Amino acid sequence: MRQSTLTRRERAPLVTDAIPPALRRRGGTQRQVFAACLAGTLMVALFASRDTPGWTEHLGDAPLVHRLRDALAAWDEAMERTGLARPHAILRAAMQRVLDWQWSGDAD
Amino acid sequence: MLFPTLDFLLFFLVVAAAMALLDRRFTAKKAMLVGASYFFYAQWDWRFCFLLATSTAISYAAGLLLGRTRRERSRRLVLAAGVSLHLFILGVFKYLDFLTLSANRLAHLLGLEHELPFVEILLPVGISFFTFHGISYVTDVYRRDVAVCRAPLDMALYMSFFPQLIAGPIVRAAYFLPQLARPSDQPIPIAGALLLILGGMVKKVIVANYLATGLVDPVFAAPDNYGGPDLLLATYGYAVQIYCDFSGYTDIAIAIAALCGFRFPRNFNQPYRAARLREFWQRWHISLSTWLRDYLYKPLGGSRHGRLNTYRNLMITMLLGGIWHGAAWKFVMWGALHGGGLAVERMCQPWLGQRPASPLGRAVSWFVVFHFVCFAWIFFRAEDFTVAGIFIAGLGAGWSAGVQQAQPAMVALIAIGMAGQFLPPGSFERAGRALQQVPYWGLGAATGIALAAINALGPEGIAPFIYFRF
Repeated sequence: MRQSTLTRRERAPLVTDAIPPALRRRGGTQRQVFAACLAGTLMVALFASRDTPGWTEHLGDAPLVHRLRDALAAWDEAMERTGLARPHAILRAAMQRVLDWQWSGDAD
Repeated sequence: MLFPTLDFLLFFLVVAAAMALLDRRFTAKKAMLVGASYFFYAQWDWRFCFLLATSTAISYAAGLLLGRTRRERSRRLVLAAGVSLHLFILGVFKYLDFLTLSANRLAHLLGLEHELPFVEILLPVGISFFTFHGISYVTDVYRRDVAVCRAPLDMALYMSFFPQLIAGPIVRAAYFLPQLARPSDQPIPIAGALLLILGGMVKKVIVANYLATGLVDPVFAAPDNYGGPDLLLATYGYAVQIYCDFSGYTDIAIAIAALCGFRFPRNFNQPYRAARLREFWQRWHISLSTWLRDYLYKPLGGSRHGRLNTYRNLMITMLLGGIWHGAAWKFVMWGALHGGGLAVERMCQPWLGQRPASPLGRAVSWFVVFHFVCFAWIFFRAEDFTVAGIFIAGLGAGWSAGVQQAQPAMVALIAIGMAGQFLPPGSFERAGRALQQVPYWGLGAATGIALAAINALGPEGIAPFIYFRF
């Protein structure tokens, strides 16, 4: 496949990069990006299990989706047993208390 | 498929796996990214993929023709045809029903009984953004600012790259196409990208979503039910909400592009700290404001032909910038306010100077500019002129009634959003440098835990991004 030839003006940056050059000097490879994403997804699965059964609701009503929903519900129960679902509940309750504060000093 | 969802996380995990496999095969990686981008776009409506492909084909063909044509007149014809075709598509899909409605209202005012039928076309998500990409490419090739893109794959990726496809930033061909010519030899800034994702998620999921549901939406739905304090705080709330919503989206888009190995330009730079309206536009949606400057304001003559022509050009640019945001007269009004404001500011420049000289002058100037921007947001957010009128009239009344909607949490969110505008420059870079010491798997795990926390703190369900409509 042929590639475009570059003009001088093209090589010069027209605008500021969103991520500063200082943060580009050290970094990783695409494989490390994938490893970081995998680690992140695993943590989301562990600590945000409460929301995963509800996530399947927009996927439709196919038999496969039912099985996925059951599997995610079982996963959430397992996370609850291990105590990993607690931080989610604590944070949500804390946020609700903050939202309920009134200028009068009462909560809803 | 919205960024802050499990769907997108799984989608990007698959894309990241494919990129890791194709790390040394750049052409295959680009082909995979085009496929992923079309899959991403098809999640809204697969039929619009044909529209995106058509827009890409128009840009590609116009570029090739411009590359082959030597005569200036023929080149101008190709440019006009390319830009007109892009604008025709945008006009049909975005503005046809608006024009029909406006024509019918005018006919009604003139006492005519005949009404034009509505076509009721569904607005394709992101059409304004990929149309601007196409127009900028064709224009830049015509101006010889960018080389002709002869690789169809590069053109397809430039037009459809999924991080910017739906709501920008508008990435210029001269900035992005060279990145497709050869693989980058720079490492991927994982720490900076993950920091941007977390910042964007906090802005969108916590600040913007709670302000929308807890303050802005209820107050703008029935402004006559609220007193002045609620209306004023809802105005500030919307200013913070739209900033956090849009810049949050942009931050995530920039980070996702970075994780794919590409650079995106900066799109926001603490806009509410601006002390001049001109400065606000140098800090707000920078990719759009520079696009309007280079492809509209300057071709109209810019500031080269005297004061009156400069004011006229500012007005036309901002009016069209307003209507770009949506097919409604309220956006025209928003654009007119900004165009008028910029013209008045330029008119007063001999007395005001380029920038305020003293700290007090800067504070006063900031106060005026911020409130002017907030006032214009009322038209942008209100359902129509009637609601905007009720809202503005209500701002001066009911101050003894206290607040109903703007409870402490909402005021705290506004304060947090505004505090972010005044963080010292370089804060992001310093935080990113500190995180660079952490191993990449640790960064990924910490980001996952932080995302789970943000998800728990945010309201259930994610409201669509405001700029998806544009």
